[in-house]
Amino acid sequence: MTSAARSRTGLKRWRKDYFGSPGAALMTLFSLAALGAILWVLVDWGLIRATFGAEGNQETCAAGGGACWSVIAVRWRVILFGIYPFEEQWRAALACGTVALVILLSCIPRLWSFGRLALIWTLGTALFYALMRGGVLGLAPVNEQQWGGLPLTLFVFVATGVIGMPLAIGLALLRRSDYPVIARVSGWIIDTIRSLPLLSILFTCAIVLPFMLPGFLIGEKLYRVVFGAALFFAAYQAEIIRGGFQGIPSGQEEAAKALGLSYWQRMGRIVLPQAFRLALPATINQFVIAFMETSLIVVVGFMELLAAGNTAFKTGDWKFAYAEVYVFIAAIYFTFVFGLSRYGAYLEARMNTGHAKD
Amino acid sequence: MDLTAPAIEITGLDKFYGSFHALKGIDLCVAKGEKVVICGPSGSGKSTLIRCINQLEEHDSGAIRVFGTALDDSLASLDEIRREVGMVFQQFNLFPHMTVLENCTLAPMLVRKTARAEAEAIAMRYLEKVRIPDQAQKYPGQLSGGQQQRVAIARALCMQPEILLFDEPTSALDPEMIAEVLDVMVTLAQEGMTMVCVTHEMGFARKVADRVIFMDKGEIVEEAAPEAFFTAPRSERTRLFLSQVLGH
Repeated sequence: MTSAARSRTGLKRWRKDYFGSPGAALMTLFSLAALGAILWVLVDWGLIRATFGAEGNQETCAAGGGACWSVIAVRWRVILFGIYPFEEQWRAALACGTVALVILLSCIPRLWSFGRLALIWTLGTALFYALMRGGVLGLAPVNEQQWGGLPLTLFVFVATGVIGMPLAIGLALLRRSDYPVIARVSGWIIDTIRSLPLLSILFTCAIVLPFMLPGFLIGEKLYRVVFGAALFFAAYQAEIIRGGFQGIPSGQEEAAKALGLSYWQRMGRIVLPQAFRLALPATINQFVIAFMETSLIVVVGFMELLAAGNTAFKTGDWKFAYAEVYVFIAAIYFTFVFGLSRYGAYLEARMNTGHAKD
Repeated sequence: MDLTAPAIEITGLDKFYGSFHALKGIDLCVAKGEKVVICGPSGSGKSTLIRCINQLEEHDSGAIRVFGTALDDSLASLDEIRREVGMVFQQFNLFPHMTVLENCTLAPMLVRKTARAEAEAIAMRYLEKVRIPDQAQKYPGQLSGGQQQRVAIARALCMQPEILLFDEPTSALDPEMIAEVLDVMVTLAQEGMTMVCVTHEMGFARKVADRVIFMDKGEIVEEAAPEAFFTAPRSERTRLFLSQVLGH
């Protein structure tokens, strides 16, 4: 088919789909008008009548009548890095870059071997920690209590996934154990954690746990909270993986047994890869939720991205500019979550190659 | 493994599903190089019997020996037996997330610790034997049922087992694909592979079997050389079954 012919059928298709009947044409025109109106309001507010640059203030912004992006220009370091010491914020920025780089590298199929991923993650974690915590290489130490903004959000999210995913796999495997006691206990653990609100888990880890644990186990509050979030993530993710298990025909494991594969070989090569393929959409969903839920750690005293943004307009001069700050934060969340979704779609397409039938 | 011992020696095998008595004191001995075809109505326990040999089903009492190695509760004996006993399933059970070649090299590399290059050479040899070397880089989902079953046979052969078990290998195939799978099985039989086949392909039984076993209600009702089995069955149940299978 020539491209001209294709575009003609494309046009025909459009006419049929959107202007097929008077009702459809009316709906199409109405929707277009509504979309256009919304888009116009946004562009008018956010770009045309907006005030940019650090010189702007309440009066100049009000005179412009649009968005006051000056608040971002002036306060962006508070939003992104919270109360992390001002002169050291380059370290926090580098740490964010490190996390982003590690995540990007992990997404490249060529690097998907246990050794390479382990190396990337170990180096990445060490670099992130050295940059954020300091105390090495002549970097001034910064206490975890002073971490804030985007690096804190990323740290909690990534650590939740990195600790939570192996826990989830472990729980899911135990739950399908041949030994009824083990399977049932694992089921109870999952159900118990799922029955608790995340907030109560975070509170317990932050405040109650120190009274119950022996001194050497208490550790920094941040790590207790991350552990709680990971536990919560693991309980849900374990059920998602179990759903994946149920989609695999029993013949798969029988064939692996008949070939002489050991339990771990069967799980690692046959069962888990197929379970993850089946569970991928739900898994991406769970990661998105985990990313959003990092904002809850504000209740136990951590100034993650959203909380840091809140402080940015709480001080006198910028009280009026909360919408702009929220839009800015929303854009950051959107970037990460949209990237996650697109990556999920890419994985799905990749895993579906060769599965034309069945 | 003692290759001078009988390939498979089953004595007094009992198997229950709850209160259902699936196998009732089965005794069966298969010599090295022997081809045994097991037939019988559905629910007669024939699949259960061969699945006990490599312990996809656990039996409740009785003894199973493979080349002299007794199946006890130890994982070591189970591993040893599964290495020497290959199995081909009704539903093929190829691994859908791996290419044909990967399906064939996986177990030799993981279980026998064969180097990749050698495992791939072995795999190609057996894929040629089942006449689909050109499909090595495809995924199972891209193949026809007959091709998938031939890959499954090649996959089992790649472990270079002493014994092959076939669990109704042609029952899930479209009629026009049955012949290509049976041809491969006949070739294997002629080359001296020890085979135990659960199948309703009576033509195949007549052609290659040394012995045909008829099972019903968890018991071995009759066993005989194919000639005698098909022309002069002793038991009334066998005659009824044969008239149903061959009658149309």
